[in-house]
Amino acid sequence: MKLTTRATLDKLFTGVTGLSIVLLSLVLIAVLGPMVYRGSSAVLFNGTVEFRKMQRELFNRGDEKELEGEIAQTETFRQGVYAKIDAFKRGIDIDAMSDRVRQINREYGKELRYKNTPTEEYTELRSRSRDIRDILEETFESQDIALIEDNVMEVLQAAQDPNFLGTCAEEYFTIARNFLAAAKQVDLSRYHEYVAALEEVELLLFGSNEHNGLLGPRPEEPTRAMARVRYGATRSDQMRELLDRFLVAEQWVPAEGTDSLVKVRTPRVEQFEGTSLASLFPYVEENIEKLLNPRFTFYWQFFVDDNVNSHYFGGVGPEILGTVFITVLGMVFVVPLGVIAAAYLVECSSDGWIIRLIRMCINTLAGVPSIVFGLFGLAFFVLFLFPLLGFEQKPCILAASLTLALLTLPVMIRASEEAIRTVPQSYKEGSLALGASRFRTFMTVILPAALPGILTGVILSLSRVAGETAPILFTGAVSLGPVPKSMFDPTRTLSYGSYDMAVGDRLAMMVPHNQYGMVVTLIMLILILNAMAIVLRSRVFKKLKGH
Amino acid sequence: MDNKDLTLTLGPAAEFNRPLVLTPGQDLFGFILNHVGRALLFLITCSSVLAVLLILFFVIVRSVPFLTDYSIADFLAGKAWHPTSDTPAFGGLTIIVGSLYVSLAALVFAVPLGIMAAVFLSDIVSWKIRNVVKPIVEILAAIPSVAYGFFAVLVLAPWMQKHFGFSTGTNALNAALILAVMALPTIISVAEDAISALGRELREASYGLGATRMETILKVVLPAAHSGIIAAVVLGMMRAIGETMVVWMASGNATQIPHPWWDLSQSIRTMTATIAGEMGEAPEGSSHRSALFAVGVLLLIMTFVLNIVSEYFLSRAKKNLGRS
Repeated sequence: MKLTTRATLDKLFTGVTGLSIVLLSLVLIAVLGPMVYRGSSAVLFNGTVEFRKMQRELFNRGDEKELEGEIAQTETFRQGVYAKIDAFKRGIDIDAMSDRVRQINREYGKELRYKNTPTEEYTELRSRSRDIRDILEETFESQDIALIEDNVMEVLQAAQDPNFLGTCAEEYFTIARNFLAAAKQVDLSRYHEYVAALEEVELLLFGSNEHNGLLGPRPEEPTRAMARVRYGATRSDQMRELLDRFLVAEQWVPAEGTDSLVKVRTPRVEQFEGTSLASLFPYVEENIEKLLNPRFTFYWQFFVDDNVNSHYFGGVGPEILGTVFITVLGMVFVVPLGVIAAAYLVECSSDGWIIRLIRMCINTLAGVPSIVFGLFGLAFFVLFLFPLLGFEQKPCILAASLTLALLTLPVMIRASEEAIRTVPQSYKEGSLALGASRFRTFMTVILPAALPGILTGVILSLSRVAGETAPILFTGAVSLGPVPKSMFDPTRTLSYGSYDMAVGDRLAMMVPHNQYGMVVTLIMLILILNAMAIVLRSRVFKKLKGH
Repeated sequence: MDNKDLTLTLGPAAEFNRPLVLTPGQDLFGFILNHVGRALLFLITCSSVLAVLLILFFVIVRSVPFLTDYSIADFLAGKAWHPTSDTPAFGGLTIIVGSLYVSLAALVFAVPLGIMAAVFLSDIVSWKIRNVVKPIVEILAAIPSVAYGFFAVLVLAPWMQKHFGFSTGTNALNAALILAVMALPTIISVAEDAISALGRELREASYGLGATRMETILKVVLPAAHSGIIAAVVLGMMRAIGETMVVWMASGNATQIPHPWWDLSQSIRTMTATIAGEMGEAPEGSSHRSALFAVGVLLLIMTFVLNIVSEYFLSRAKKNLGRS
């Protein structure tokens, strides 16, 4: 082969291997980037007045006076929305109007009886009232504007009648006038379309018992049972999404000639073309900021708060607590065990077959799949050991901690062993030469020198344990439940919570910020622990280099 | 004789007058303490042995009811896994094949990349750059599996469905890619250790003969380090086969053997995912539950075998090093 080809190939090879590292970095960015980006919006976002209302009512947080002022301010703009919808409804909500008319008829009858009207007059007035009712009902059902006009005129002739003036029957005429005014604007042949479209608009704006609306329930509406539907859009991203759905209707219609459905987007304002409601859409679009008042919010309480309605609102406080509790308890078991085992392996053992067996077992233990640890934790701790000791036979924090302690034992032993081995031999010899016993040498000379290294191991084990999910599936983790009172209760953890929010919990799909927030909290916790370990290790390295 | 008296009367201050090694006759208490202490330490050290034995015992004991009631041949070769039907069938072939399939697919992605990265870190870049690059690998190793699973389900799956036109985003390819990323740190660090342990002499001899760096690495370094690299691959395989959360979340959990075999876009199901997914529904004392423990035993056996293989190659790598 020519020298130049060889040189080129060599360069190419270098480039290809370098590419592998570039690829690794890209993978890291691709994995962490989207998750961290979306997860950070759980803490940093533009919160609307609805968010502050929610915080005030559910978490008793924020200044009440200030909030009241803010609500009053937004409410002035919301009145415009309410007025527009009510005005439109007056002309369009035929069922309600018919009901009302029938009610007026009954009430008028009662009123007459109450006034002791003579029988003949009573009968006459009742029949006139009934006539008006019937005419109005006919009018409401009609789609012919000429007929409506005639009918309304006919009804209004009775408006000045002293028998009706000052009674509840007066309302007949208000309804009739309103309906006429509305009917002139509305294409009554499309009445059913309007009713359906209006229902959708109201649902999008005010929500229902199942769905969230853009503005939240109207002030006069009774409090809804589920906390998650009590508020409008709490965040500006939610606000934008709901506003988009409010302004533009999306429909899946069959494409021509094929079976597949295509999405058709039509501005909702077109559905109400020419009606009084058409002005609602530009009004909401222009005033959306004033209606909801979004402003930048740093919601650090995300790491403290309990969740509300399975993670719809609130944060991951109990999950963090549970994770810390399980991992720290696990460390309490594993650190002494690991350090002692490492000390024995380094200081006391000769390289016999027993030590080889022990080492093999450590390696085997490190290779056991985490789910098998979970099986073992269930079979041994939960089903065997706890009943034997008289504890309740159920998954709990203690069982999870013990299982995780076992899982991380090999990591701990190896890290401590390495830390003890890196202590220079001269330390030990110096101490022994001064006449200290081996035990005292270990405790006062070797252990302090190895401590930073051991601590690194502890932190790395912590980070491993904090992220493990499979071993605690059956031994102590629950997706939702009360905050544990003792170590004999099961707990929520970040790791199991991340799993549950990604796969198990359908409601979580509606709040991606909380979904991602959970997993990013876990990742951040672990990366911080790792960073601590790396810093500690480099300091140990420097210190040992000095000798 | 004088020395002994002094020790007895003067206490700790006289420690320096003692001979360094005392016979049991001279210092019985110290002798006993020394041996009892050593025994105690030894017992604590044996906790890992105890743990392995306990794990073996309890997982096997729980699976015994299943292994006696059903035939092991059916368990290993049967394709029907219907644990909850009226006539339950526990044919584990599909999930065993699923586990192996997805792990091997992961290795196909991870091994070339891992070895290249190991070569890059050990032979090509300077120590300084290596210290910058190494944390990338460490962070990849530190990210918990449930976070990878989360990524697979919510980011990668929709993306693949959209861009590759798969019927479902949670499939063997998704799980294999994520498993590859998770196995990479193991493969890289073990392979890098093996490659850099070879020492300068081998490389310098090769350079001295006029070989380029590529020729040196491909024809001298990698062949010489092959034992360590095989161990790295086996350890990566172990990591992939024992992984639970990612395959549970990303593989689609359909009990089927992919057909045709190279079609990675189909959903599969692994042993670990089966245990994780069905344990919650299997009532205590049912044959379903003990069948899941039997799957656990199978997993244990697999990892034991892989562990022994990796130990063999690691010790061979060490021996080779000693010889050269």
